[in-house]
Amino acid sequence: MGKDVKARFRDSGGLGVILIALGFIIFGTATSIHRTTDFIIFSIFVLGFDLLYGHMGRLSFGHMLFFGSGAYAAGLLVRYATPNPFLAILAGICGGALVGGILGPVAVRATGACFALINLAFNQVGYFLALVAFAKSTGGEDGLSLTFSSTPLLDITRPKVFFGFALFCLCLIYYLLKRLTSSPYGILLRTIRENETRAQFIGYNTYRYKWFTFVISSSISAFAGALATLNYGYVNPSFVDPTRNVEVIFAALIGGAGSLYGAVIGGFSYMVISNYLARYIPRWEMFLGFALLILVFKFREGIWGNVISVWKRRTQTGE
Amino acid sequence: MLLTVTDLDVHYGHAKALHHVNLHLLRGEVICMVGRNGAGKTTLLKTIAGFLKPSQGSILFDQKPIQGLVPEKVSIMGIRYVFQDKRVFGELTVKENIELAAYPTKEKVSDSINRILNLYPKMGVLLDSKAKGLSGGQRQILLIGRALIGEPKLLLIDEPTEGLSAGIIEEILSVIGRMKGELSMMIVEQNLSVVSRMADRVYIMKEGGIFKEINDRAVIEQSNALEAYL
Repeated sequence: MGKDVKARFRDSGGLGVILIALGFIIFGTATSIHRTTDFIIFSIFVLGFDLLYGHMGRLSFGHMLFFGSGAYAAGLLVRYATPNPFLAILAGICGGALVGGILGPVAVRATGACFALINLAFNQVGYFLALVAFAKSTGGEDGLSLTFSSTPLLDITRPKVFFGFALFCLCLIYYLLKRLTSSPYGILLRTIRENETRAQFIGYNTYRYKWFTFVISSSISAFAGALATLNYGYVNPSFVDPTRNVEVIFAALIGGAGSLYGAVIGGFSYMVISNYLARYIPRWEMFLGFALLILVFKFREGIWGNVISVWKRRTQTGE
Repeated sequence: MLLTVTDLDVHYGHAKALHHVNLHLLRGEVICMVGRNGAGKTTLLKTIAGFLKPSQGSILFDQKPIQGLVPEKVSIMGIRYVFQDKRVFGELTVKENIELAAYPTKEKVSDSINRILNLYPKMGVLLDSKAKGLSGGQRQILLIGRALIGEPKLLLIDEPTEGLSAGIIEEILSVIGRMKGELSMMIVEQNLSVVSRMADRVYIMKEGGIFKEINDRAVIEQSNALEAYL
């Protein structure tokens, strides 16, 4: 009975939530709360991206568009309507879902390189819109500087409270994705990744599921974008910059694509490398490139995938 | 009549793969499509299953036209296709493979598992194994079992015994034999001794068309006699 409860707790994602929360709290206390909040937000973004890439097998080169949509939707609401941070987050999620919902029907018809490049093209258009076409509203290259109002019950404008709030959001997204990917829907996503044609012949309208997944992925990415806007207090075109797509792709690969733990570990690892390695090595991106080469050739399953493989080998050999 | 194919033409680009194909299948009947490589057997199955769109002709299933329908609609109507290459969803467990097939049919997963275990009890110990670890014969049985979920009316099976050892072939034939009479089947098969044992009727295909229909049991039961038509 005790074992049953333990297994159910582990399978439901409860253990993962506790481990992630503990890890970030320890790291945040030891280093900087503001910076760790940034790490948490980036991990949410990687979780959203990896739902599409790791679980459904569709690599997007344009996910910054959704991150930026969330950031700009939140920023524009605060600038032109209300400074309430919770409404800004809600606007961000809705903005990302809307953009994903509109672009999804076109994007999900494609696979492989075509899917990746269609997303990149959309991202480029979004970048141009934010930078030039709607510069009067978005502030163009300078972006928008934002001030959020304090909220009585939970004042997330205070850094420590916002850290806790962001961590809660990460744990919530992790938990929901854990439930989602363990459900029949999750099995179907893996099937689409393996062989979409066969999934169709079992009786699934895979197009509908792909679109739905695209919208969920874009909404989570936009959620991260809205949180980033709150964390920085501004939004500018770097939030939607297509050249930054490589960050989230690197992070998913480092952690191990197709695993929720992998996404969080990848997001955290990438942020540690880009924040701390840069202090000691001016051209740290080169080392990141080398690290990625090693991963691709030697550790294709990423950090988490390899931890699991070693663990399985040890338990099988009874070491 | 369960299936009627009339004047079916299929093209791959400019190349004609099937031309003026006419055939029919009765309820509960097993027909085998026989012919050399490139005769159009797999193309015919794929067209019926909805993977290829015919350029001309009609396919009536249960008195309803299905030509040009997408595969998931064809599947939901009760036609299941067992692919030639025996590829299961390798990253999923055997149980997940079964579950996945059960959801669109709204059949209970436990009923689906029992159905497969009734056909092939040895699958019981493999339910939690990843499907990529199954042997060729086990994969074929899993694919046939998965295709039976939701009580389909017609099974299209593409070369079920290809590349398998004699012992495994016997197991598969015994599985197919148990379904005979209850389910209509259209089987593409190169192994003529298998055809002799399974088929109620045989269609010989040559160069994208139906060359001959054989109803005579005496001819069907002699694989040498069938060979003469190839």
